[in-house]
Amino acid sequence: MTFFADFCIPFVVGATVMFAAVVIKYAAWFHRLPKSDKLSILKGLPTAKSIAAAWEAVRESLLHRRIFRVNPVLGYMHMSLAFGWFLLIVVGWIETVAYLGFRWVPLQGHVFFKYFAPLNGIWEHKPVFDFAMDLLLLFVLSGVALAWFKRMKSRAMGMKRTTKHVLFDRIALSALWFVFPARLVAESVTCGIYGGGGFLTGGLGSLLDKALGQEALRALYEPTWWFYSCALGVFFIAMPFSRYMHIFTEIPLIFLRRYKLRPESHEKSYDNFEVEACSRCGICIDPCQLQSVLGINDVQSVYFLRDRRYNMLQQKIANNCLMCGRCEQTCPVGINLNTLRLNSRTTMRNIPNEGRYNYLRGLDRSEGEGRVGYFAGCMTLLTPNTLDAMRRIFDAAREDVWWADKDGGVCCGRPLKLSGEVDSARKMIDYNKELFRKHGIATLVTSCPICLRVFREEYDLEGIEVLHHSEYILRLMRQGRLRVGYSSERTFTYHDPCELGRGSGIYDEPRAVIEAVGVLAEPDHTRKDALCCGSSVANTVINDAQQLTIAQGVARELDDTGADTVVTSCPLCKKAIARASAKNVVDLSEIVAVNLK
Amino acid sequence: MKHIIVVGGGIAGMQCAVEAARGGAAVTLIEKEGDTGGKLRNWHKLFPTFTPADEVLSALRHRLAREENITVKTDCEVTAVTPRKVATASGEELACDAVVLATGFALFDARVKEEYGYGIYDNVITSADLERMFNDGAVKLKSGGAPRRIAILHCVGSRDEKVCQRHCSKVCCVTGVKQAIELKKLFPSADVFNFYMDIRMFGPGYEEMYREAQEKYNIHFVRGRISEVSPTIDERLQIKAEDTLTGRPLKIGVDMLVLLIGMKADAMNASLEEASGLRRQPSGFMQPRDSFLGNVESGAEGIFYAGAVTAPKSVGESLNEGTAAARAALEWLGATHKIDSQR
Amino acid sequence: MINFGYSISRPRIIDIDRNNLRKSNEILLEMPELQTCIGCGTCTATCTAGNLTEFNFRKVHTLVRRGEYQGAYEEMNKCMLCGKCRLLCPRGINTRGVVMLIKRKLGDF
Repeated sequence: MTFFADFCIPFVVGATVMFAAVVIKYAAWFHRLPKSDKLSILKGLPTAKSIAAAWEAVRESLLHRRIFRVNPVLGYMHMSLAFGWFLLIVVGWIETVAYLGFRWVPLQGHVFFKYFAPLNGIWEHKPVFDFAMDLLLLFVLSGVALAWFKRMKSRAMGMKRTTKHVLFDRIALSALWFVFPARLVAESVTCGIYGGGGFLTGGLGSLLDKALGQEALRALYEPTWWFYSCALGVFFIAMPFSRYMHIFTEIPLIFLRRYKLRPESHEKSYDNFEVEACSRCGICIDPCQLQSVLGINDVQSVYFLRDRRYNMLQQKIANNCLMCGRCEQTCPVGINLNTLRLNSRTTMRNIPNEGRYNYLRGLDRSEGEGRVGYFAGCMTLLTPNTLDAMRRIFDAAREDVWWADKDGGVCCGRPLKLSGEVDSARKMIDYNKELFRKHGIATLVTSCPICLRVFREEYDLEGIEVLHHSEYILRLMRQGRLRVGYSSERTFTYHDPCELGRGSGIYDEPRAVIEAVGVLAEPDHTRKDALCCGSSVANTVINDAQQLTIAQGVARELDDTGADTVVTSCPLCKKAIARASAKNVVDLSEIVAVNLK
Repeated sequence: MKHIIVVGGGIAGMQCAVEAARGGAAVTLIEKEGDTGGKLRNWHKLFPTFTPADEVLSALRHRLAREENITVKTDCEVTAVTPRKVATASGEELACDAVVLATGFALFDARVKEEYGYGIYDNVITSADLERMFNDGAVKLKSGGAPRRIAILHCVGSRDEKVCQRHCSKVCCVTGVKQAIELKKLFPSADVFNFYMDIRMFGPGYEEMYREAQEKYNIHFVRGRISEVSPTIDERLQIKAEDTLTGRPLKIGVDMLVLLIGMKADAMNASLEEASGLRRQPSGFMQPRDSFLGNVESGAEGIFYAGAVTAPKSVGESLNEGTAAARAALEWLGATHKIDSQR
Repeated sequence: MINFGYSISRPRIIDIDRNNLRKSNEILLEMPELQTCIGCGTCTATCTAGNLTEFNFRKVHTLVRRGEYQGAYEEMNKCMLCGKCRLLCPRGINTRGVVMLIKRKLGDF
């Protein structure tokens, strides 16, 4: 057997282009990795990390376990396509080997094996393989059918919205939709002529034979294989330039992640792996409140990654994100969506400027003295109830406190960092760091989760423990330095601030404090799934009315708990919800301060 | 005899009831509180003439008492309104031939503007608190002392999208100037600073009063809205604003801060809209049928509006609307004609 | 000290006839809400940077709207983007967005 026919040309060309493109892309990305990243890979390669990564690659790239967890139907769709196709290739290869023994067969020989070896009965196990291959084809076809269905009726698949695609995606998607039906038709026609085949191809073959007759089948024979080959060829050519690049890219990504490679505040080569590992499944769209509440349809992570990949990212897209982290929480590929968006903003907006913020030099407007420092944060200065409550709490615990910014301090730097101006943010970070060191504090308490996050992630405050006031208050209570009165008559509900919850992983402390004072009723969306108040400093695009609309949705959900008081622990969330709610909205510290014993 | 129910026993409702009764209708005036008079009961003097509010109120009450065909129902809350029937919270249903809604407004809760420290710092008070203090003859600091420096802040809960109150409350500017003068009369040696965005002196004698405040009483006007208030170590209040006319941030320590709280739509308006099919404006106030020729008509047959239920209004305007609504209701009923023929 | 603007060598008069309003119009086209500023000064009063320097957000964006661009970028660079002003603006203007927009239009972004 020569294993060549003219119709193979589209497939061979396509496969060649695809492999070349993928190899060139990966080579370039690996080559451009920073030295430290390359070193991490080298160190990680010979360790157990690689084995763990391989197992994870099977679980995720083939079985799509994480998608299953988010949405079982969608999980099945992805799994049937990925795992089914993979098995088709593997079983097909085994079939070739079983038939011909170990000998070199060109790629098209494996792929179009039915064409090159159509004869039935020459090999006793053939019916077993025919059956297995048909079963697998059916498995894949069920996935394709679901994909068609999803395009038309995404709601039925548990998704309110599905992704809008670019041209390359559409070409690849159309080709992919045709690949398996085309294979079914080509193989069935072949079986109709030569006999054999399993329940699917064989069955359809004899049906076709009956309906059309041998003459028509023979006329269709070559064109159907041509069509199948063309579908494959087009898909392969489009693949490296379309979202289907994720099929391969997820695998190196899983390995690199195991070797501790992460995106950082500036773009780097590793980001390519994350960006192109996005399959544009669109799972990130539904959790986005900009979509569900405001109907904004072109800024979600899937579109951001797409635009970034094709170098068509605009500031108004990159900046239109609350960075609440709800999408990152559900991304089945585990892409660091916020970090990538941030470093895109950095690329667009970071202009090193040595002279900027020189006015900070030598400034010190702090007051008091103590081992505990309290940094209210800019926003907290606009919620004096919180300041007052903290003062009472410090007094009750007999804590000597150094007040860093009672009379207005210098911003923590996170808002600037969130807008991409990281080098300038560094100036503020350095200023505040020096201020904290100068006053010799051992503990730094802040009421603002935005400040908290940057203190913990960027400040490098060795020797100074950084606490959110919820953690600090709980600690005082557990140490017996703060005693509060409890009443089951008091009912509270709690809003998780994004930067505190998903951002810093602090969920339990505020709840423990609330439950020491009264009864807590959880809203529908809570903890990791909590909604964003809409006033996030990370978003500089939406307007006031839009912020209010988001806050009203959040307030409604909090009201629905029936609790008397809405508690939160972020000045920004407090302000946002207070204007949208008819209920009393307070900071965590306030409910402690008024119930001190 | 035709029966008109007037909902709300404030000044507009009282005036309306009197006029409707004089026109020959039987009137029931429903007031949710224990006494008629509405918000004016807690007011001290009225701009721009410094007429005691009590003077106006007792005259109105006197007129009300003189009319035989008026029944006043106090402590009675209305829940739903149709042209022929008014339902109350106690489950009572009062039949009638027409309804006038004179349910008025609500005062903005200054605690919502947390940055101004109302409810946190002792000497931050509202304009309504100050009127009460005037009435009690007890304008003083929490410590009991006399204020040496007082700031008055305009537009608290008005023209502020951050508290969802977009509209101008109209009367606060004039009230602010009036209260500044009254404070200055009480404490001649004190400094009074009015912080404003715009001064809107829309009525007769108002601009003159403004000028007098500046010239005769040496009241300072700073064009800038206060951003925040913080306490000082000596228990005073530190205020931050921009002096926009010089373009520089301004700090000032004061003993007392008066917040000129705005008029916001009453919470009842929402339920009126739902239960009675009436329309509300985006501000929450009720929407009259027409701004010119139908400003006391609701658009629903037999339901009329009087006073601040449709927009912030001054005392004089509310009284006028009371009259106008009574006339409109009578005309609609054709009551005037029938009663004349009976005589 | 009297603050006359960005530099004392510039003519005092804002000559709208001579000023080129193209950039100003572009800015307002992208963010029409900036035109709703009533000049209450709350932003400047609360401004973290404005309390430490002569930065006056209200004045800078007003001058930009009048076609006075000189120095605006450098002034806006003093802003820390802390967001207090946005939390207080009675007209609900997206002040942080304004800072970024003016820098983008008038600077080298």
